[in-house]
Amino acid sequence: MTTRGRADQHQSSVIRPPDFDQFWNQVAAELDSIPLDPEMMPAPMRSTDEVEVFEIHYTSLDNIRIAGWYCRPRESYITGPYPGLSIVPGYVSEPTLPKSWAKMGYAAVGVAPRGKLRSNSQFNPGYPGLLIDRIVDRNTYSYRGFYADAVRAIDFLLTRDEVIPDRIGVHGSSQGGALTIVTAALRPDNITCGAAGAPYLTGYMDSAALTHSYPYEEMNEYFNLYPERREQARQELAYFDCLNLAAWVKAPMLIYAGLNDDVCPPETAFALKDALPGEVTLNTTERCGHDAGNYWQMRHVEDFLAQHLQPAKVDLRAQTTVG
Amino acid sequence: MTDTKESSHPNHQASGTGRPADLDAWWNAIDEELAEIPANPERIFQPLQSSGGFSDAYRVRMTSIDNYPIAAWLTIPTGEGPFSAVVTVPNYASVVTPAHYDFRQRFVTMTMMTRGQRGADKPYAAAFPGHLTNGISSPDTYVFRGVMADMLRAYEVLAALPEVDQDRIGIIGTDAGLLLAARRPGAKAVQVTAGFWYRLAELVASTEAYPFEEINDYLRAYPDDREAVGRTLAYLDPRHQSGRITTTIQINRDPDSAVANDAWLAPLVAEIKSEVTYYDIEHRGQADHDANDAWLSQQLGVQPAPRQWEPQETGPWS
Repeated sequence: MTTRGRADQHQSSVIRPPDFDQFWNQVAAELDSIPLDPEMMPAPMRSTDEVEVFEIHYTSLDNIRIAGWYCRPRESYITGPYPGLSIVPGYVSEPTLPKSWAKMGYAAVGVAPRGKLRSNSQFNPGYPGLLIDRIVDRNTYSYRGFYADAVRAIDFLLTRDEVIPDRIGVHGSSQGGALTIVTAALRPDNITCGAAGAPYLTGYMDSAALTHSYPYEEMNEYFNLYPERREQARQELAYFDCLNLAAWVKAPMLIYAGLNDDVCPPETAFALKDALPGEVTLNTTERCGHDAGNYWQMRHVEDFLAQHLQPAKVDLRAQTTVG
Repeated sequence: MTDTKESSHPNHQASGTGRPADLDAWWNAIDEELAEIPANPERIFQPLQSSGGFSDAYRVRMTSIDNYPIAAWLTIPTGEGPFSAVVTVPNYASVVTPAHYDFRQRFVTMTMMTRGQRGADKPYAAAFPGHLTNGISSPDTYVFRGVMADMLRAYEVLAALPEVDQDRIGIIGTDAGLLLAARRPGAKAVQVTAGFWYRLAELVASTEAYPFEEINDYLRAYPDDREAVGRTLAYLDPRHQSGRITTTIQINRDPDSAVANDAWLAPLVAEIKSEVTYYDIEHRGQADHDANDAWLSQQLGVQPAPRQWEPQETGPWS
């Protein structure tokens, strides 16, 4: 078996750009100038006696129209209002239909950021592709808008009368783990808690150096062809690195990771724990990879979210979502 | 496979899951349609995915039944072949990516883009949810008739490559791999890492997890289609073709799951004449991967590539 340094001893190479705050303030100002224009369409085929499902749309950065799923308990099943929950997607995963979370008592949104199905008519870099799309320019890099799309899911929840505005959480794994951090960082006053599994987009360059697995391998392939762009990419990616965004997170966070994760190296999960200023718990599981010990950790995720968000049905379990 | 739970859909179980009398004719018709349509594969070199220098990567476009254009990621190790090959059966998602780095180093690899998936989404772009129940009321309208044809077509293209050692082809992924092995004998090994089509009509009644919940959604909307749905799914149930399988098989088993344990799987393997090995998963992803990889590597005559590592007190990090 190969050996490697201990994950908790790895030193991150991420540097915070001096104009980091200014960059994100500009993004926020631009986003704030764009009306959300939310739209909800009932999806009766996906709805049940307990849960109403809606297909939603809203406008995000660059005036791109973003899709999502919104699932809420029926009043006859659980009387509102409800805590809110944003379930954010993995890199290759299909957008989430968070019906089981709604059955637990959450008003839950599963966002499809740009490039995902139903949000890909105006922006569609493909897979592989998203991670390195305009990687040399922070003002047009794919994740500038992608992050905004995920954050706007919270803005959508805040438009809903049935959502308790000071009890909103966010959860996802892999890219969803990254988007959990991003959402909590860019909406620090609106997020009550976050649970991030196997966080991606955390120590971009370190991760690409630690693994040859996709999606970080997209970066290695890009630098193989264009080595002269490596340092510029390093500088630009720092604006999107969760290790830099983490400083803005106020909410309690749960992170879980597999100690043998070849997709999102566990070294970066430890770095993220150190970068988060508030209450944070890191659960690691041996011999687990990108599954992040999910088989055991999901119960902890559900309990953590329930502790902070207090849904009505804490005895129910979340189910696999689409894709 | 998904964990089971007490059925919350007592009225929604799809029935009619016995072996259809015209099963063989149904599959033979797919073979006949494929035989009439040349694949005309077209390799398109991919510089980015080839930049590592250890393999050349291509997008392969080819034609399937209905003259539908499908595609696949194909990678071929550099150096002198022929090589062992691994083909991954279709996943249930829009995105299809090239095979893992350590597979691309050791094997010719193919990951398929069947109709509806990205790369093969013109004219039909599958919806998720939605794809799983598209045309499900009849086996002749079910979109997965075409998807299965696409799987067979892609495999035919792979198996015909001069870079591939015909005697060392492995099939991995869901139990669609068993259908592939049944319809296209000759693979050295099949590794079933997860169930999907086996007893699907029964499985959906015991879960609310997507994508299986798509079928429950459909049956809720169209309760009169229960029997028809069950009948359609029976055409794709690998147990009804298991007697045709002569390939060595490994199946991931979960003794703690009512839909992945010995009792559940027994009817599937009862008719298989070749060697069937179970691997009892630990739910530790990397440990399970390494065990699967060790078996597959042995079958295909290559060095295993475990992904677990041991931490040491101080670096280096590679």
